[in-house]
Amino acid sequence: MNLNIDGTTPIYVQIAEWLRNEILAERLVADSKVYSQYQLAELFNINPATAGKGLTLLLEEEILYKKRGLGMFVTAQAKEMILQKRRGETLQQLARELVVEARRLAVTDDELIELVQKMQRGE
Amino acid sequence: MLKDVSCQIEEHKIIGLIGRNGAGKSTFLNILAGHIKPTAGKVTIYQDNPFNSITTATNTMFIEEGMTFPNGNNIARILEIAKCFYPNWQQELAEKLLQYVGISLNGLYDKLSKGQRSTFNLVYGLSARCAITLLDEPMNGMDEAVRADMYRAILKEYIAYPRTIIISSHHLKEIEHLIEEILLINNGQVALHKELEEVQQFAVRLIGQPEQLEPYRNHALFERNEGPLAEIIVEKKYFNGHSSIQSEAVSASDVCKYVTANRMGGIDDVFK
Repeated sequence: MNLNIDGTTPIYVQIAEWLRNEILAERLVADSKVYSQYQLAELFNINPATAGKGLTLLLEEEILYKKRGLGMFVTAQAKEMILQKRRGETLQQLARELVVEARRLAVTDDELIELVQKMQRGE
Repeated sequence: MLKDVSCQIEEHKIIGLIGRNGAGKSTFLNILAGHIKPTAGKVTIYQDNPFNSITTATNTMFIEEGMTFPNGNNIARILEIAKCFYPNWQQELAEKLLQYVGISLNGLYDKLSKGQRSTFNLVYGLSARCAITLLDEPMNGMDEAVRADMYRAILKEYIAYPRTIIISSHHLKEIEHLIEEILLINNGQVALHKELEEVQQFAVRLIGQPEQLEPYRNHALFERNEGPLAEIIVEKKYFNGHSSIQSEAVSASDVCKYVTANRMGGIDDVFK
């Protein structure tokens, strides 16, 4: 399990992102139990408090919920919420970067659209 | 060596004690361990002054490069004695770890290589399961592979039996994944004491035209002005975004480096 350890993206943010990806990939589904902070600490070789912060972040985003004494579980709307957020933020950000780079390289709008379509067709 | 050091360390946390060589890390640990009596100020561990305190002695493990064990004893005998001293002593763990790293129980401590000695010291320190475990540059002399294993051993032992661990290093990157808080010591004073994530968010690197960066210069932790673009590192609170100044995150290890730097422009200043 690899984390980006250049020290600029907090580790707990990366843990939260990894769990979101697990939910998107449906390896963690609604109402299933997620890893405890100690399991995450062992898995990623990190301080358990750091892993705990990752879980707390998802708790605040209502992607996880807590059952007293039992641990944390995936909420029913978790996957949908992550999808919406990713479409809204991540995809837009990537598109922005793509447009900036295309401009820098003097790629025309038509060429750019054609490129995207090519990608979608898997060429 | 130390002056105006004021900090509070909560139990059951792993603290990274960071600082340049000679900053006062070892002195700080020696005082906590009760090995050195501070000439001024007050240190309290378990409502007690650690110097000459029985409570500190039985609850504290201090691992340092210069630690000694009674002469002429083999490893097995040293472990046997430890069993008498430390109520939580984990004999099985100690034996398994030593076997794993290839240190024979029949060998003499004095005959171990520098790296093996460090490894043994750390195994000894972890196996004692003391409530307060002070590790002064514990990985000195160990080879790369053993280091990684030993960091993992610290983590696993901490999870199995949470305790307060203070681990000193002049190399933050190596222990960053392991620690919850950073205590940065510089010139005998506490320069920063924050959670790791706060240190990662502490500063920002600004890159832009020298005249655009001018307003930030009086807050600069570091600045470089070579070539067409200037670079300045400031605490994040001083920068609220600016369209033509590029800003980048500064890693915790760089923050520590810049906060403790003697010269504003770093090595470049020497060549001016």
